[in-house]
Amino acid sequence: MGFEVETLKFEGPLDLMLHLIHEQQLDIFDLDMEVLTDQYINYLHSMEELHLEIESEYLVELATLIEYKSKKLLPKKEDELEDDYEDPKDRLVRRLLEYQKYKEVSKTLYDSYLERQDQLSKPLSVDEIAKHRNDLEAQKLEGDPYDLLKAMNKVLRRLQLTRPLDIKFTQKELSPEDRILQIKARLKDLPETFSFDTLIEDCESLHEYVITFIAILDMAKDHYLAFTIDDNENIWFSRGSNHD
Amino acid sequence: MDGKEKKAWRETPSLVKKVEVLRKETVAQPGNIEAVVEGLLYIVGEDGARVEQIAMAIDKSLEDTNIILENIQRKYASELYGIELVGYGSVYKFVTKKDIYPYAQILFGEAKTSTLSQAALETLAIIAYKQPITRVEIEELRGVSADIMLRKLQARNLIREAGRSNAPGRPILYEVTEEFMDSFKLYTLNELPDLPEYSKDEESDNLFE
Repeated sequence: MGFEVETLKFEGPLDLMLHLIHEQQLDIFDLDMEVLTDQYINYLHSMEELHLEIESEYLVELATLIEYKSKKLLPKKEDELEDDYEDPKDRLVRRLLEYQKYKEVSKTLYDSYLERQDQLSKPLSVDEIAKHRNDLEAQKLEGDPYDLLKAMNKVLRRLQLTRPLDIKFTQKELSPEDRILQIKARLKDLPETFSFDTLIEDCESLHEYVITFIAILDMAKDHYLAFTIDDNENIWFSRGSNHD
Repeated sequence: MDGKEKKAWRETPSLVKKVEVLRKETVAQPGNIEAVVEGLLYIVGEDGARVEQIAMAIDKSLEDTNIILENIQRKYASELYGIELVGYGSVYKFVTKKDIYPYAQILFGEAKTSTLSQAALETLAIIAYKQPITRVEIEELRGVSADIMLRKLQARNLIREAGRSNAPGRPILYEVTEEFMDSFKLYTLNELPDLPEYSKDEESDNLFE
């Protein structure tokens, strides 16, 4: 006995509906809601059979489809329909068309996005770290993990650009725990505030940068270190409240 | 190139004097000012500089600075040069021309890896065309929850919060950033491609090309 696995990935219920409309060759401007609803349910069933989790968003739209179907079965009074009442079917078609627009245009945008990556630039030629060192003491230490992530990305990009020809095949194994010990040992020689760049001076590979980053996340969590991120997305550290 | 730097310049009298002298000389030789701007753009590198920042540094009006930038842009558009001046999101910077990239790949032996998921692209497209826009409006359009995606895009600095809507609950509004404009090669949002229009009269095949 064989089995078929369809590996279609949809961006959501609207994407799935557009796919079904296309597959069933339905006219979107004269949408056959019955066929669409049946196909939609079939698809959800097949997902269930594959033991795939159905996201709640799909069920919300399913409810809309079924509501429409059930309302059609009920006799309706003409005078109940008001002028500003939008037929659920019209609303769905409007949403499908609107979604289709953005889906379509996102392809064009992605082309530009890829093209842009063929255009490279070099980093700033001024040593910003020296420039901002003095301003730092007065700054409040704050920042959320997303700021930290942003700053880390910048560090990595910069390092990549400064050492583009440094290709190495060796990999030193280093655990975050070991790295924390190393950093703690180095702390006594470091000034009151120091930058992430200082911390990774002894790193030679991406692996070590990442481990260092994980290590400082851990240390920040334990309040051993406090961090801040300045306007230029440099990460700065100082001893935290839990520093011994 | 922020406020602090401006202040530092002003507070150093000998430096200001020196720059004043230099400025007088460059005024006498109009051709030089382009070289000055070119040099500044070289220094700022990937961070780029806004027209206002350059205008402040060279003590010229925005109009004059724009003309200078256009001249440099035209000069580097020539096939004699491997770099070009771009002004995505109104931030000017030198970048290598795209024809250089294949050679860079050979030199570095590595391929680029930065990608965006379809979900991220659709969310960005919706924000770019309809900004400022709330999370709920994005969700209504895509039919899926946008919470995590918005955070990811914020972390990548492609979108930012832009105040709050007056709708009930005063939801946060989002807009795209200069980083977005840079990533998608846009000088202004007016350069976004027109959204496709679908109407009854057209062949329905048109929809699913």
